[in-house]
Amino acid sequence: MKAKYLVIAITAAALLGTSACAEDAANAEQPGEVVKIAALYPATGQYAEYGKMFEEGFELALEKVNAEGGVKGKTLDVVYYDTQSDAKQDAAIAPQIAADPDVIAVVGDYASGASKAASPTFQQAGLIHYAFNNSAASFTDTGDKVWSPAIGQDVQQAFTADTVAKAAKRIAVVYIENDWGKEAFGYFKARAEQTGTEIVYESSYLADSTDLSPILIPARDSKPDAIVQIGYGPDGALVINTLRDKLGYTGPYYGGQQLQEYIDLAGANAEGSILAAAFINDGVTDPKVVQFVEDFKAKYGKEPGGFQVTAYQAIIDLSHLANLTEPTRDGIFQALQTADDIPLYLGDGGTFTFNQTTRKADNILPVNITVKDGKFVRYDG
Amino acid sequence: MLDTLIAGLIHGNAYALVAVGMSLIFGVTNIANFAHGSVFALGTMIAWFLAGPLGWPALPTILAVVFATALVGLVINLLVVSPLIKAPPISALLATLATGLILDNVSQLVFGPETRAFPKILPTHNLQLAGVRFGTSDLVMLGVTVFSMAALAAFLKFGKSGQAIRATSQDADAARQMGIPVKRIQNLSFLIASGLGGLAGVFVGLFNSNINPATGSISGLTAFVAATIGGLGSIPGAVVGGLTLGVLESVGVFWFGDGVHDIITFGVLLLVLVLRPGGLFGKEPEISAEPLTGTFLGGGRPIQLPPWSVLALVAAGLVLPFAGGSYVAATGTQVLAYAIAAVGLTLISGSAGQIILGAAGPIAIGAYTSALLAIHFQLPFVSTLILGGLAAAVLSSILTIPVWKLSGHYVAIGTIGVGMITVALLRIAEPLTRGSYGLTAIPFPDVFGFALVSPQQQYVLSFVVLLLALLAVTRIRASHLGKAIAAIGSDPVAARSLGIQAASYKALAYAVSAFFAGLAGALLAHQYTYIDPTTFPVTMSNLVLAIAVLGGLNSPVGAVLGSIVLVGAPELLRVVPQARIIAYGLVLILIIRFRPQGIFATTKPGVNHAASRTRYRRPRWQLAAGAERSWVE
Repeated sequence: MKAKYLVIAITAAALLGTSACAEDAANAEQPGEVVKIAALYPATGQYAEYGKMFEEGFELALEKVNAEGGVKGKTLDVVYYDTQSDAKQDAAIAPQIAADPDVIAVVGDYASGASKAASPTFQQAGLIHYAFNNSAASFTDTGDKVWSPAIGQDVQQAFTADTVAKAAKRIAVVYIENDWGKEAFGYFKARAEQTGTEIVYESSYLADSTDLSPILIPARDSKPDAIVQIGYGPDGALVINTLRDKLGYTGPYYGGQQLQEYIDLAGANAEGSILAAAFINDGVTDPKVVQFVEDFKAKYGKEPGGFQVTAYQAIIDLSHLANLTEPTRDGIFQALQTADDIPLYLGDGGTFTFNQTTRKADNILPVNITVKDGKFVRYDG
Repeated sequence: MLDTLIAGLIHGNAYALVAVGMSLIFGVTNIANFAHGSVFALGTMIAWFLAGPLGWPALPTILAVVFATALVGLVINLLVVSPLIKAPPISALLATLATGLILDNVSQLVFGPETRAFPKILPTHNLQLAGVRFGTSDLVMLGVTVFSMAALAAFLKFGKSGQAIRATSQDADAARQMGIPVKRIQNLSFLIASGLGGLAGVFVGLFNSNINPATGSISGLTAFVAATIGGLGSIPGAVVGGLTLGVLESVGVFWFGDGVHDIITFGVLLLVLVLRPGGLFGKEPEISAEPLTGTFLGGGRPIQLPPWSVLALVAAGLVLPFAGGSYVAATGTQVLAYAIAAVGLTLISGSAGQIILGAAGPIAIGAYTSALLAIHFQLPFVSTLILGGLAAAVLSSILTIPVWKLSGHYVAIGTIGVGMITVALLRIAEPLTRGSYGLTAIPFPDVFGFALVSPQQQYVLSFVVLLLALLAVTRIRASHLGKAIAAIGSDPVAARSLGIQAASYKALAYAVSAFFAGLAGALLAHQYTYIDPTTFPVTMSNLVLAIAVLGGLNSPVGAVLGSIVLVGAPELLRVVPQARIIAYGLVLILIIRFRPQGIFATTKPGVNHAASRTRYRRPRWQLAAGAERSWVE
């Protein structure tokens, strides 16, 4: 490459760049007969399992919405974008979604880091990012177009700390080393200190570690009344398997995740694990939730778990919001600011309202569950 | 404490069993087989399928797994490695990386992605020692390790094929002249090593108890570290390396927590290499040239670009995002950022001939520096960009100092360690970097007060930076400094005899490369607006190297093409989402196989003889000396 030409090229590029700044990719919205919700989700990769569950929830919700006449007479569609929940891919795909005038809102992604990479683009495009699975307290800081109906970690961890405090005074806590895990542990610890629960040992662990003995041996040796794990299902199973099988710990365990995977992986060791969940199909009374459970069983032949419910609810909420105003980006934004009866399927059902300052749903409480005879059941301890 | 040591030994034994196979293949073919970890993981999954859903008992399961993985290993050698045996080892290394990617994803498609419990075909916690329970399976695994080590040692020493393997490993040319069927011997070593890998898969599956098909590359990397610590090519070394690593990790994590895991693993690697450059059991490499060089130049028919076409290409590159829309622009910005890192890499890996497998390190430093300066001091993007590049150059250079004392393959391996340690340090420097919380709300880049928010605007910014990078690297290559650096890459012995200090010039070239990697990191950070340590995984390092290799390591312009293929293509292949990673691996393998000199070799054949690995013939005096494995393939 000849240097001279490069210099010319650079000058040209810089000039063009300046002029390019003047342009803006403002897309005239001309929605057709179909309106779309874009789903960022992991169809492949290490989080593919969660992606599958999201898809089950989305599809069921979509059937219901369209069977009941769609949104303001228009057919609703969910367009799927596989990101592997990888920030790089989220950032790359976001502009394509923002540029599609038929897309009225975005749901997903699984991991908050990946979601955060896409949010600024949607914020810029005036497109609501309805991050139903991102519970980090700071998640919605990007701007007024980013909303999360997930139960916040501040709420969930305080809830768990209170549950633990009822049964234990001295506890050992292990948590997953990522943004979610550290933040969750921070909330847990703050509440534990308030309630006078003593944390006698704490350590994080990396998501891809295969041998947790080195951190669980000192946890066991600190002689706690209970061991608490803050993380996901597979690592929760690894923790309890290591504690029970390799280290001979027999005390109470607060951990795991509401996934069949957790029960499959931990087997008999899962029995008695206590954890907070967004949803349990045990003792639900809200008729729309009962209906949802029936529909879910009819379509998939199994019980829905928390991940399917949140995904389902996200689509139902958005179509509810669109029906309140109009099925456009702005319509949903308007509805989010005014609606006070958004359908709630989590917890004990009913409806919920957004906190207009945080754009989070801080009044949804989780429920306690435990594993009994290889099944999740409601726990009222 | 005793229980921690025991736990570490048991875990280390798992590393050892995988490391043995890697070391064997390395000894025979001089190729670091990064697909080995995936073969091993495949073994685990097949064992799960046979013993779990199909309910086979232990022995038939183990036999079937060993047979199947040995077969996979053979196929890998026949289709991927063996055709590249004459090519520089770096192309084979990349091909095995791609193969690993394919195997992991096929396994995920076939067996499903979820984590599952491994069937307990042997008792896993029926015994107890000092507060740690373990099982018959762990004892059998230890027995298998010791037995396979002894059996391999005996086979290599006394067996006819074993002696042939050793002869081939010492000098493939000489072995061939003595009538040893080198190809068959290489096939044999892949069969044995991969079969052992599958066997390891069964026992490690039992040990881990929870398994999923995506763990191959990570276990492969750790096992490779274990093999290197022990001394690549040494079977007892692999075992000792595995056990050492297991115990040190266990004790280190016991004391400092799991957050320091990577620092321990790769810190031990660097420490061992600095103290004993050949590993614990290996011989110090006598090789005077870096065998992992990517000098594919000789075979390449260069594509000559007429000067006017440069302008045309630049114009086309600029029009593209406006014509193609936001999606093309956003993908293009990624392509450009990776291209900038790869363009820089051509200086150290192309000119100086030093493969760098840790590019994610300086990229991460650049990203964090720029982001932190922008968040805390509201500095304008142009200054944070440059400071990010400078910080990457300075900090990466400091971290890499011990590596330059190494030689042979070990320099490249050392850079893997530096890359991993850099990211791990960013994770634990929480007061500064917010560690695993990540940095949020990184502002979009602004140039002279104008915020670049649209993908098109960011594309143009990256485009300008890329052109500047191309200009700078082209100028450096043409300068006296560039010639000195290229001399090291072409012939280190000759360069040294001319008074060129190889290590110093390599360090300098690396610093320049790191500067550009830092620029790329800064651009990515302000495009993502969110970064955390997982944004910079080991696969990012591999990707940057693959881009540079694909373009023709010695060609800065080629690096841009490489980035289009490797970063752009996976996005384009989105049409077949399930299979796109597999397709990406296949594309990589095919290109390495059929255009190993890179898409865009810039040197005319025959001009740069000394650098040409494929054409260069061993000087006569060396043939006479004959014994050492030389820098000539």
